[in-house]
Amino acid sequence: MTLNWLGLFPESVKRMLLNLPSELLEHVEEVRIREERPLEINSQGRYHFLDRNGGLTLRPEEAYKPTREDTHRLLDLISNHSLYTMEEELRKGFITIPGGHRVGLAGRTVLSGGKVEHIRDISGFNVRIAKEIRGAADEMLPHLLDRKRKRVMHTLILSPPQHGKTTLLRDLARQISYGQWGAGTVRWPGMKVGIVDERSEIAGCQRGVPGFDVGPRTDVLDGCPKAEGMMMMIRSMSPDVLIVDEIGRAEDAEAVVEALHAGISVIATAHGSSVQDMRGRPALSGLIENRMFEMYAVLSRTGDARSFKLYDGGQRTLQSAASGPPGGDAYA
Amino acid sequence: MLKLVGALLVIGAGTLAGFYQAQQFAVRPRQLRELILALQRLETEISYGFTPLPDALERISASLRDPLKSLFAQAAQYMRPDYGLSAEDSIRKALEDYWKRTSMKNAEREVMEQLGGVLGTSDRQDQMKHIALAAQQLKHEEEAARDDQAKYEKMSKSLGLLIGALIVILIF
Repeated sequence: MTLNWLGLFPESVKRMLLNLPSELLEHVEEVRIREERPLEINSQGRYHFLDRNGGLTLRPEEAYKPTREDTHRLLDLISNHSLYTMEEELRKGFITIPGGHRVGLAGRTVLSGGKVEHIRDISGFNVRIAKEIRGAADEMLPHLLDRKRKRVMHTLILSPPQHGKTTLLRDLARQISYGQWGAGTVRWPGMKVGIVDERSEIAGCQRGVPGFDVGPRTDVLDGCPKAEGMMMMIRSMSPDVLIVDEIGRAEDAEAVVEALHAGISVIATAHGSSVQDMRGRPALSGLIENRMFEMYAVLSRTGDARSFKLYDGGQRTLQSAASGPPGGDAYA
Repeated sequence: MLKLVGALLVIGAGTLAGFYQAQQFAVRPRQLRELILALQRLETEISYGFTPLPDALERISASLRDPLKSLFAQAAQYMRPDYGLSAEDSIRKALEDYWKRTSMKNAEREVMEQLGGVLGTSDRQDQMKHIALAAQQLKHEEEAARDDQAKYEKMSKSLGLLIGALIVILIF
C-alpha cells in the first residue's frame, strides 16, 4: 500500500498521521481538516479525532486543532502553489490531486450572477483517499455478463457515498480491458473500454495518462462532462463498454440512451440506496421505466463488511453476495 | 624599492575597489530591469497560460541570466513536493541563498518577499494585481538606481584611485 497522499499534508499534520498504528493508517478513507476544530480521520467506517501526538480520541477537547497556518499550507500544497490554476475546481468545490485522491473544500463562496464562482477563505478540507483494489469486482463481474451474446450487460450500480463505487468501477474497467472476467469461468479476450472520467477519480489521470491501472484496452476522457464525453466516445473511440461515474442529470440519461442504441454496453453508477429511490429522480426514472438497464447492483456496507444485491431489469432480486477480496478490505 | 611596490599595491587596491563599487552602481539598474521583465513574464504565464507556479518560475529562469536565473530556478526547486515547503517559504529560502550574489539592495528584496507571500494563494485577477504592484515598486527602485548610477558611477572610480593615493601619502 502506498502512502503517497501523506506528502500533501503540512509537516505538523503529517507527523501526527505517521504516528498512527500502521494497520489504521493503511485503511484511512478520509482525513478531515477544519480550521480551529478537531482533526478527524475516518477509517473502516469509524471516526477518530487525533491528538497532538497522533493518539486516537473521541473527545473533541483533547484533539489537535489545525491552525490557520496549517490550512494555508495544506491549500498551498494541494494546489501545487498555484491556486489560480484551480478556478474550475474551486467552482465545483473539490480538487483532484496526483494519485486520484480527491480533496473536497468548504469555505466562503463567492457568487457571480447567482452561481458559485469560487470559494475563498477555505477552512474545511476533506481528503478522500483513493484506493486501487484489484479484485474488487471479482464477485460481481461474472453476474454482469450476457453469455449468449458474449457481451457485458447494461448495468447501473447504486450506492450511497463511501461505499466503494469508484473503486468497483475502476476494477471493472481493468478486468474487462484485460479480459480477466472475475471469479467466473468465462474465457473471453479483453474488450475495448471507454471511461468518461469527469472528476479524474476513476483513472486518476495526470496529464492525460491514467495513474491507476485501468487496463491495456482502455481509453480515458479526463475531466470531460459526462453527457458530452459519452457522445464523443461513441462517435470517435468505438468502445465495447462505456463506463461513467455518477449519472444524474437529464442530459446524462439522454447520452446513456444514445449509447445503448449504439450497441455499446454501459456501466454507470448513481447515488442512491435502492432501485425505488431512483424512480423518484426525474432524470433517471425514465431509464428505469423503459428498462434501459438490464442489471442493477446495489451496494451496501456495515462497518467493514461490504455486500451487493443484484436485480434484473424488472427489478427482481437475482443474487446477494458479499463483495470485495477476502478480508473485506476497505475501499473509498 | 620595497616601499614603491607597496605604494603601487595600495593604489591598485584602491582603484579596484572603486571600480567594483562603480560596477555595483551600473549593474543594479540592469538587474532591476531584468527582474521587472521576469515579473511581467510571470504575469503572462499566470493570466494567459494557467501555468502552475513551479513550472512558470522554471520557464522564466531559462530566459534569464545569472544570478537571477539561479534565484528563480532555486525557488522552483524548493517548491517540489519532496521539500514540503509552501510557496512563501520556497521564495524566501531562494532569496536567502542567492540575494547576496545580486547587486540589488534591501528595498527590492522586501518587495520580492512580500510578493512571495501572496504568490499562488488567490485567483488570477488578484495575482495580476499583486505582481503589477510589485513591478511598479521595482520600477521606482530602478529609477532611483539609475539616478545613483549617473551620480556615483564615475565618482566611485576616481574616488577609489584617490583614496588609494591618500593612504599612500599618509603612510609616507
